[in-house]
Amino acid sequence: MDLITENLLTILVLLPVVGALLTLGHAIFWKQEGGLKWITLGFTLVNFLLSLFLILDKGAASASGFFFEKNVPWIRAINTNYHVGVDGLSLWLVVLTTFIMPIAVLSTWHAIEKRPTAFYVFLLLLESAMLGVFVSLDLLVFYLFFEASLVPMFFLIGIWGGENRVYAAVKFFIYTALGSLLMLAAIIGLYYLHATATGVGTFDYVTLLNTMQAGALNFPAGSLNGTLLFFAFALAFAIKVPLFPFHTWLPDAHTEAPTAGSVVLAAVMLKMGTYGLMRFNFTLFPEASREFAYLFIILAIIGIIYGALVAMVQPDVKRLVAYSSVSHMGFVILGMFSFTELGMQGALYQMLNHGVSTGALFLLVGFIYERRHTRQISDFGGLSNVMPIYATIFVITAMSSIGLPFLNGFVGEFLIMLGMWNSTALSITSQVNWNYIATMFAGTGVIFAAVYLLWMIQRVFFGKITNQKNRGLRDLNWREIGLIAPLLFLMVYMGVYPRPFLEASKASVLAVQERVAGRQAGGTIEQANIHK
Amino acid sequence: MGIFLFQLSNPNTNVSIILPEVIVAVAGIVVMLYDTFFPKQRTVTGIISIVGLVLSAVVLLMMWSDGASAASAWGGMIANDNLRLSFSLVFLLVTAMTILISTVWIEREDVPIGEYHSLLLFATVGMMFMASGNDLVILFLGLETSSLATYVMAGLRRTDLRSNESAMKYFILGSFASAFLLYGMALIYGATGTTNVSEIAARVADPNFPALLLVGGAMLIIGFGFKVATVPFHVWTPDVYEGAPTPVTAFMASGPKTAAFASFVRVFVLGFPLVAGASASGYLHESWINALTIMAMLTMTVGNIAAIVQNNVKRMLAYSSIAHAGYALVGFVGAGMATTVEKRDAAIASVAFYMLTYAITNLGAFAVINLLAQKNDRRTEFEDYNGIGFKTPVLAFSLSLFMLSLLGLPLTAGFMGKVLVFRPALEAGNTMLTLLVIVALVNTAISAYYYLRLIVVMFFRERTDEWIAPRIPAALAVVLVITVLGVFYFGILSDNVIEKFSHSPGATIRAER
Repeated sequence: MDLITENLLTILVLLPVVGALLTLGHAIFWKQEGGLKWITLGFTLVNFLLSLFLILDKGAASASGFFFEKNVPWIRAINTNYHVGVDGLSLWLVVLTTFIMPIAVLSTWHAIEKRPTAFYVFLLLLESAMLGVFVSLDLLVFYLFFEASLVPMFFLIGIWGGENRVYAAVKFFIYTALGSLLMLAAIIGLYYLHATATGVGTFDYVTLLNTMQAGALNFPAGSLNGTLLFFAFALAFAIKVPLFPFHTWLPDAHTEAPTAGSVVLAAVMLKMGTYGLMRFNFTLFPEASREFAYLFIILAIIGIIYGALVAMVQPDVKRLVAYSSVSHMGFVILGMFSFTELGMQGALYQMLNHGVSTGALFLLVGFIYERRHTRQISDFGGLSNVMPIYATIFVITAMSSIGLPFLNGFVGEFLIMLGMWNSTALSITSQVNWNYIATMFAGTGVIFAAVYLLWMIQRVFFGKITNQKNRGLRDLNWREIGLIAPLLFLMVYMGVYPRPFLEASKASVLAVQERVAGRQAGGTIEQANIHK
Repeated sequence: MGIFLFQLSNPNTNVSIILPEVIVAVAGIVVMLYDTFFPKQRTVTGIISIVGLVLSAVVLLMMWSDGASAASAWGGMIANDNLRLSFSLVFLLVTAMTILISTVWIEREDVPIGEYHSLLLFATVGMMFMASGNDLVILFLGLETSSLATYVMAGLRRTDLRSNESAMKYFILGSFASAFLLYGMALIYGATGTTNVSEIAARVADPNFPALLLVGGAMLIIGFGFKVATVPFHVWTPDVYEGAPTPVTAFMASGPKTAAFASFVRVFVLGFPLVAGASASGYLHESWINALTIMAMLTMTVGNIAAIVQNNVKRMLAYSSIAHAGYALVGFVGAGMATTVEKRDAAIASVAFYMLTYAITNLGAFAVINLLAQKNDRRTEFEDYNGIGFKTPVLAFSLSLFMLSLLGLPLTAGFMGKVLVFRPALEAGNTMLTLLVIVALVNTAISAYYYLRLIVVMFFRERTDEWIAPRIPAALAVVLVITVLGVFYFGILSDNVIEKFSHSPGATIRAER
């Protein structure tokens, strides 16, 4: 058992690869593709169960504040190590990833008829890469997983996608690759700067952080190096989030991707961006983060409102959900850059919420697409008459996405806005309290969310059946209910009892916040008193 | 005979130090003789060649771990350092792979097999001397040996006009470049009074005529620039690569190009160092660093942009090989700027390692393209690859992997190669070199477009007409296994290889203590 707990993260990352090889072997040697989905489901479920150990069997943190840490040399010539570990920032994202994967596999149970072997292999490889991103503590290893996650997704969109899949896949790849290459330059740059400061170059996040905290290497506000490195990292992550105006790849990728691809993309891959900003930008370049916080807050607010407005006019349900992602991820960015404990905790929480709610929305869109092979709002109407269970679940999920109290979305967005309200990140002039104004603008996003989602629900589900083709639709079957049920449960649970989630991430968030803003800024969870 | 034995015991004419070269040369002669007496025995000559190459590689590896082997011999004409050993290993690998790749083509086209194999081996001997020569004369001899053999190979498809054009262009332009090189060497000799690279390094601080040194250096840059195909001396590359038989193209893009890099690095990094306080060497050093930095930027950019618009896969790979020469130059310039011997050796190792990763990826890609090309290299357009992805999954996924490695995606060899060559350039802490790395990164992003295009064409498009997947012959299966595993091995577990590449035989012992 000790062997498993000591190498838990490595096992989590590598198990899907083993699954992929097994899937491949199964297809080659048995020449039949029937059992593949069971193998894939089995591996993702085992991975999920193993990841629960991260919560249950945490033990004591290492000196650097990480759990399940593992650090072995990889390429000695450039001093890079296979260094992995989790803390409060990454813990829930890892669990979210392993949790979403079995659901994504189940969602494709009957939908993938073309090349199932390759599909499941890519899905498993994708899981590995995503988990690798969240656990790696060596910048080069992080980059490696960050970039490696592109390839399976590229194939998933390109082979199993919709009409316009080639365009969407190539755009997705080049957009994100361009951003991450700049990050690679910055990573090598940091290595070199660390070498000049201390004599030893390193890619190790913990070592870099220690050197910076000891004062041997720092980037004072306004320094050219600090600004360039900050933006090189930030651009890679902003594209991934995606932050307005780098969001244009997202609607295409989401719309064209197969359901499982959309679910994984929305639930996990977008979080790589926000996670990266919080983990690396905030702690490695706190001065530059403070200096340019206003820029990110403005872009986040534009994203919130713009995403919502564009979502409102989409004729395609999937595209609508995709644009709603732009809006919701804007909230996450806003919360993070408030530099308050409330806002940052809220942002982290909202990442999980968005994963659960938007993941569920994409699943639901996938269900109806499998039945009707269309996603146009105008093709539907009055669906609640023939599919009552589906309609009920859809409405609950939409409410969670809008942020109705007692559902998860509310907690996250409320914390974020509270954090922004108390924030000093925008204290540029003393005359105007920009933080209030920012919060007010962001607040309109919640109203718009209600407008576009409710309006869509009204047109799709209520009234009389307008299209005769919809009359014979069957309601959800047990598999579909079964795979959406855990998500519904989480929506309610996370809305009513967020405490365990926030508690687990608190220490790490405080550490980041202390580094980026100092402890005194903003309110605390205790003052807000919402989790008691 | 008695004299020969005497020479064997004379330390200065140390045959054991050129044993790897001798073995390959002997193998070449044996192949040629065997072919004369027993013509048309394809497998046997191939096996003899591969045995010779493997034997040579084993000797090389033994010399590496043998701390007692001399650092130089033959009156300083042959160097035995990490540059020589690591590059030579790359050549041996390239030639062995080329022989395996060629088996398909040989059966299809009825090539004069004995000549082909012996030419390949003689070219390899030349390339190995280009890496081990520590004297301008030896370098030139090696270069000409390998070039002459390669000219002939480019024209092996005698009845095909494109192949003839390719050989003719390569020969005329190549001779022209060799003339520049020779002229440059003469000028360097005039300025320093020696052709030995180590002695040149000692005399650049105080040359006879500083101007001669500069002009000579410029001539050498033109000559070597042609051989490694850097912009603006690259114009021959696409035509020659497209026209030459595919296996020969694979060889040219990975073998002679790497060999030219070995000589290029030896003459410039080791021969023209910066000697503190000497203005002549300062000028020379600054000029060649600047010239190569600008050439590297141009090479990457022109290569990548031209590759985007190609519709022929071989031509696309030709331009991509130009671009890759640019990336390797980044590490080269970094080696020139290194401040300590350790850093310099590490930077040289990064160039060798980059060429190794490039060679293994490129050979794999050409192996697949060669198999798909059919007779007379007909099917090499992008549209010939439409929708073949799942019709021949092994070939298509291998080819995709090679494209991703050329692109430099993590977990593949190409990524490790890029990280390693960028590091010495950034370590120099010089604005121009930092800019060079940024240009290289932007170029990597540009190159994503055309490398992905092949994947898109193979997997995302549908094929309408009938297409029968070729059977994969055993020799090619071996190549695919070696290259695919190599791409992952050098991408993930390259630790030991890089360590080894960075140290000369004597130094390894010291490092391990």
